[in-house]
Amino acid sequence: MNDRTLDLFTERAPPDSGVDGPPETREPPPPRVWTVRQVNRASRLLLEEGLPRLWVGGEVTNFRRQRSGHCYFTLKDEVAQLRCVMFRRDAARLPADPDEGMTLRVLGGLTLYEARGVFQLVVSRLETGSEGGMWKLAFDRLRARLDAEGLTDPGRKRALPDFPRTVGVVTSPTGAALRDIVAVIARRAPWLRVLVRGTRVQGVGSGDEIADAVSTLAAVAGMDVIIVARGGGSIEDLWGFNEDAVARAVAMSPVPVVSGVGHETDVTICDLVADLRAATPSAAAEAVAPDRQWVAKRLETMGRRLGRGLTGQVRSRRWWLNQLRDTLFRRGRRGVEGSCDRLEAARQRMADSVRVRIRREAGRLSETAAALDALSPLSTLARGYAVPLGLDGRLLRGTGDLPRGRNFRLRVVDGYVPCAATGRPLEAATAANLTGGDRGR
Amino acid sequence: MADDVGLDARLKRLEEIVAALDSDALNLDEALALFEEGVSHLGHAREMLARIELRVEELIGPEGGAVREMSVQDGGDDGGTDGG
Repeated sequence: MNDRTLDLFTERAPPDSGVDGPPETREPPPPRVWTVRQVNRASRLLLEEGLPRLWVGGEVTNFRRQRSGHCYFTLKDEVAQLRCVMFRRDAARLPADPDEGMTLRVLGGLTLYEARGVFQLVVSRLETGSEGGMWKLAFDRLRARLDAEGLTDPGRKRALPDFPRTVGVVTSPTGAALRDIVAVIARRAPWLRVLVRGTRVQGVGSGDEIADAVSTLAAVAGMDVIIVARGGGSIEDLWGFNEDAVARAVAMSPVPVVSGVGHETDVTICDLVADLRAATPSAAAEAVAPDRQWVAKRLETMGRRLGRGLTGQVRSRRWWLNQLRDTLFRRGRRGVEGSCDRLEAARQRMADSVRVRIRREAGRLSETAAALDALSPLSTLARGYAVPLGLDGRLLRGTGDLPRGRNFRLRVVDGYVPCAATGRPLEAATAANLTGGDRGR
Repeated sequence: MADDVGLDARLKRLEEIVAALDSDALNLDEALALFEEGVSHLGHAREMLARIELRVEELIGPEGGAVREMSVQDGGDDGGTDGG
């Protein structure tokens, strides 16, 4: 007990105050009258200091949350009731209000509300008997509500972009989650731009901050995908990610959201509403960042296909050209063949006509030959005539051509006779006389 | 396309180009032009892949607020993802 408490108790009138004189001769001293305030204060101090903080179990009734944030309720069992209050500071951490009749255990200190003289338990923690406690209760309730609204519907989930350029990250700016995310993205896709919106990730009000950060990043121009992340922790630590505001901000985000909160076993409302739930912050980053090796391989394939495509274009043209050439060739040959036939026919015709002509000409030739034969001197020669020819082959026609001593040849029917003119040529009449005279001698 | 074209757009365009090159509906000039465009996309994409410095920035202030470079150290204040 503190000094003030001692003061209160020592103000009490001593029970043996009449020892100093006979009671009948003394005015009994007036009883000490306590003010109400004094009584309540004394009682409050007795309660607060006489009993340690207690865990009290009971059934909850009349749970009311005031606008001020304070919560009032009554715990009861079969025979007794205990008024309880949970002030705003503690009540704010309460994820949900307990249902009427729920069995709770609460940790608190007894006190007396002096203004009203009401005896009550000031509760700092409130738990249900079941596993997960109030957190699970709140989680289940919010989940049921979001399920009913369709916000956790798998059909709502959007595909992540294959090749994002800007990635938003909502997490603690100093946490390990951010380091893990940055390390993964730096390894897999360092060409990305990472835009971080730092928030608190636990404690009262963290949910609103997270929700606000998601909306803010989603509104940034060029944002492709958002990661909401936090390392593991107790359900209480992770509570910010189980709040209605976060669920709605994630659901409303125009860009896909990946949730990487806690460890594999921790499932939060944020996980359920997000377009993709990753087991850890690193896994979230892996889901978002395309793998450099994979992209490189894809580019390589693309390069090959590009080359093949162009080669194909060239090849198809070459084929086409060949076809064309062959077609032309075939057509050309057909033309030539036609011409050849015509040529052959023409040749034939020509040959025929030549033959006819030759035959005709030959006929004419023999007629001419016959005519010529008739004109030939040979028949005359055969009749005994001879023709004098000069040594040069010239016909010697008269005496003038045959002076005395001239050598010449006589063409007779079967050959040539070398001759010489032995005398002076005579006139034809003289010659006849000579002949007769000779004959006459 | 300009230098700030994303990998996504480049790969999409490459797919288109490759598909076009596989078809017969091109004349040779068009095919060559597409091929050249494709090669340029490949080059830019490879350049992008070769980048090694990740850009991390922090958005501060209200919506549309300032952005500042952020350095994320390896050593942390809470050791491992179990922390915040």
